[in-house]
Amino acid sequence: MGGDKLKIVLSLTPPLLIIGTLFFGGILYGFLQSLGYQPAIQKYDINFDAYYNVMFSERYAKLFWTGLGLNLWVSFVSTFLAAAFALFGALAIRKTFFAKKICNFIYSLNLPMPHLVVAVGMIFVFSQSGLLARFFTQIGFISSPSDFPILVKDKYGSGIILAYIWKEAAFFFVILMSVLQSLGENFEELAQSLGANKWQRFRYVILPLVMPNLFSASIIVFAFSFGSYEVPAILGVNYPQMLPVMAFEFFLNPDLNARSEGMALSMIIALIVMILVVIYFRLTQSKIRKD
Amino acid sequence: MKNKFKFITLAIVSLFFSRLASAEVAPGFNSWDDVIAAADGGQVNVYMWGGSDAINGFVDDFYGVPLKNDYNITLNRMPLAGTVDAVNQVLSEKEAGVTGDNGNIDLIWINGENFWTLKQADLLYGPFAAGLPNSQFVAWDNPAVNLDFGRPVDGMESPWSSAQFHFMYDSARSDYEDMPRNYGFLTKWISDNPGRFTYIRPGKGGFVGTRFVKQIFFELSGGHEQWVGPYNEELYNKWAPKVWALLNSWEKDLHRGGETYPTNNAEMHALFANGEVDMSFTQSPRGAGPTNSAGTTPPTTRAFAFYDNMIGDFNYWAIPYNAPNKAAALVYANLVLEPTLQAAQVQPANGFCCGWGISTAKVTSSDGVAAIQEAQNNLGDAAEDQGILARALVSDIAAEYQDKIEADWQANVLLK
Repeated sequence: MGGDKLKIVLSLTPPLLIIGTLFFGGILYGFLQSLGYQPAIQKYDINFDAYYNVMFSERYAKLFWTGLGLNLWVSFVSTFLAAAFALFGALAIRKTFFAKKICNFIYSLNLPMPHLVVAVGMIFVFSQSGLLARFFTQIGFISSPSDFPILVKDKYGSGIILAYIWKEAAFFFVILMSVLQSLGENFEELAQSLGANKWQRFRYVILPLVMPNLFSASIIVFAFSFGSYEVPAILGVNYPQMLPVMAFEFFLNPDLNARSEGMALSMIIALIVMILVVIYFRLTQSKIRKD
Repeated sequence: MKNKFKFITLAIVSLFFSRLASAEVAPGFNSWDDVIAAADGGQVNVYMWGGSDAINGFVDDFYGVPLKNDYNITLNRMPLAGTVDAVNQVLSEKEAGVTGDNGNIDLIWINGENFWTLKQADLLYGPFAAGLPNSQFVAWDNPAVNLDFGRPVDGMESPWSSAQFHFMYDSARSDYEDMPRNYGFLTKWISDNPGRFTYIRPGKGGFVGTRFVKQIFFELSGGHEQWVGPYNEELYNKWAPKVWALLNSWEKDLHRGGETYPTNNAEMHALFANGEVDMSFTQSPRGAGPTNSAGTTPPTTRAFAFYDNMIGDFNYWAIPYNAPNKAAALVYANLVLEPTLQAAQVQPANGFCCGWGISTAKVTSSDGVAAIQEAQNNLGDAAEDQGILARALVSDIAAEYQDKIEADWQANVLLK
């Protein structure tokens, strides 16, 4: 018994040390800076001015609240659509058919691609000077490339949403495939023999079975897209601007006093993401207990 | 009263000693020979924006080789995505208590706000600039040199080269004669050519855009002179609303109706090269030369300048307080001011982007004069007439305007 305990302690200590120093150390240090504590420029006062400035000052309030709105919009829409696409894709090809392997491969292909590459790819393909615009001009579908609809760098974040759907659908797909495969077809066959039609089988059998996994995957994707920087930095507009981009601009400001605002904004983003993680834990915990 | 007397005596005495101590060429070095001896066999870590292969190659070839051969110093060039990265590193080292000669950075290519940040936080070594032998070629009496964005240099950085804002157009699409020569005509040009113009968003990473807007202040207010000197809130408030009104009046005819703006040079050049807009900005006295040879603008691209109010400035080398090899840093900062090397950086064939860091009139040696003459004659047809550029040249103004313009542009133009 004692030996086991020691083993657990020994095997847990290294990862905990790394997580503790890097993660909580960084968060703590960022939190201190967000409170205005910056010894490097002789600022030792602790206050919430930076939080107030970011959220309510005349200079930043409009940028912040529209940014938060855009963040929520982009994350919700891209998560929902990516999940939906992946679900229908997975349902369509889970049964054995001749091209299953190829489809599987194509669906999971963009999983290892970096978000940065996907974002730059979006520009190449969908911008007004991109491949599609030039192709449609060439075949005479539109008269000049600038008639092509604005899909990237637009104020509704469509480019960002498209990039996230493209990327995250693969993630959902991989998770859904493994769930569907482990379920087998027994439940469905049973439902069918009891007279359930296709829609009923989907709605009352498949969906409840994949929902817990789908939901927890959604929270991961939502939290990720909420806090990630590179896709909105490349595909976003100057206004409204997603919060991570705004935070980084504060950080780039050579005026060290702006550092506090940048950190305050990062703390706000981190807080929202952390709340989501807590929800995620609750859900997965209760699911494990049920099982 | 007595205390005051004591203080004055002390001041006089210390002034006397500081006069004696001024035999020192830079803090810690009594003569230039000391510097060269201390630098022998060392390495110099040069942190600089690394986004241009031409500039990187120039530094490696024209400075790396003589440093090795003449001074036995190894050049270690560290490319940065932005100068602010080096500023952040020095700051982190300060926070971590790295002092003495224990830092990592010997030199930073710097100017403007980044310099001000380091100077303000007391993170620089110096004053050293006046102690460099080649400092004799620098026009230290010129406010464009001794003030960096309106703030005193105080010998804490030494110049490398210069730049001046002006424009680029594609001679395959537009004619030199049709290009506007002031903001008034630009306004007309924009309404005649809807959708064909945009400018870089004033803000972090887009200081060229801030500069573009700053120059509007000069033109609308009838001249640059009144803007020189310390920040003047009253003057700014008088003209700012008119500038925002002008920019808002352009908006409907801008690229994408002003819904978004390019955030940096690269995005601006991309829009120009893709044929989405008809003008771009350059800072090089060689006009479109550097971007043409880099392939980021079409080969038919040429330069033009307004006849007035084109802001020019200098860029510098600064040494952090904890530089590991201050002697080698001093040798490097001195080397780049060598007249023949200054001429080399203006020679188009060498691929460097920027202009003179020294005042060419101060050079008297025959090889220096010959090299300068040859460089002047070789600027090429991608450059604007150097006389037009020189007549339009104005200095940059106090750094407070920069932040103010960026914040107010956001509030009054972008968010409107």
